Amino acid sequence: MAMNPMEQFEVKPLFQHPLLNIAGHDIYFTNQALFMCVVVAAISLFLTLTVSKNRLVPTRGQSMAELSYEFVANMIHSTMGEDGLAFFPFIFTLFMFVLFCNFFGLVPWTFTVTSQIAVTFALACVVILTMIVTGFMKHGLRFLTLFVPKAPWYLALFLVPIEVISFLTRPISLSVRLFANMLAGHTLLAVFASFVILLGAAGGVLSVLSIAPLLLIVAIFALEMLVAFLQAYVFAILTCIYLNEALHLHDQH
Amino acid sequence: MPSPDDLKRLGERIGEAERQRAQRGKPPAPPTSLGIAARFGTELVVAILVGAGLGWGIDWAFGHWLHLQTRPWGMVVMFVLGAAAGIRNVMGAAREINAEMASKEK
Repeated sequence: MAMNPMEQFEVKPLFQHPLLNIAGHDIYFTNQALFMCVVVAAISLFLTLTVSKNRLVPTRGQSMAELSYEFVANMIHSTMGEDGLAFFPFIFTLFMFVLFCNFFGLVPWTFTVTSQIAVTFALACVVILTMIVTGFMKHGLRFLTLFVPKAPWYLALFLVPIEVISFLTRPISLSVRLFANMLAGHTLLAVFASFVILLGAAGGVLSVLSIAPLLLIVAIFALEMLVAFLQAYVFAILTCIYLNEALHLHDQH
Repeated sequence: MPSPDDLKRLGERIGEAERQRAQRGKPPAPPTSLGIAARFGTELVVAILVGAGLGWGIDWAFGHWLHLQTRPWGMVVMFVLGAAAGIRNVMGAAREINAEMASKEK
């Protein structure tokens, strides 16, 4: 019996025929695309259905929706100040998408969209491009002073390349952090699950021992629930911090 | 008909709720040690990789377009600058986390 803990991350086309053909590349509808659609549909349904009644005393669902709204609004307010709220739709969308992808991935038999570097890197690129466009729109060429720290010119000569590299690492560290956390957690779960099966099939005393990795899976799963939320939070708050730099260049608001 | 007393009490309760709401400010997600460690690790490693990658690209570009043999100096210099950028990133991350913790203790 072959058990490959990485098998869960395989992107497979769901239909034999490609959906589209763009410039000679076949675009397939994959399990990844399916789960992205599921996540978007789930978020839309959750947010529209829970607040459709709009009671003064909220139901459980409504208060969950309101809580997530306030959570993101507070986060933006504390990192970017009042004028950062213009970015609320963008950051709320990012946060909910990453959060739901992470939580959907924890359901058995599903596919974790955020465990694909292609997805997280695309999200990070959108964030950084938004930051660059905002910066240039708000400050014009003065935005480039972001790379010039307050230092004498002979030090600035070294510091500017360092600042540029450090800026270029942002989309990568932003995407790698989310992707690596998801990948590592799910691989760990799969590895321990295969221990359960191997020990259980071994027979005798070893079969009894298989309860140990099973208990560990429960513990790791609880940790993964925390990680799923925390990584969505980190992604959103770093987006806020980056956008804040573009909005308010050097000054702390 | 609510009496004026009732309305006054309601007003007080609304005021209290609004004050609590204003105090809340920061979202309540504590940075776990694991999260901090993972953050520092990625910040440092990614910066070094990006620096080295840029250096490799510079060497390649010089060799390919200008026919200048700069290898390995572009990579050496950019690797060092990348490491410096990584340390700068970690310092920035530490400053952010410190600020976050300090604001929570208040």
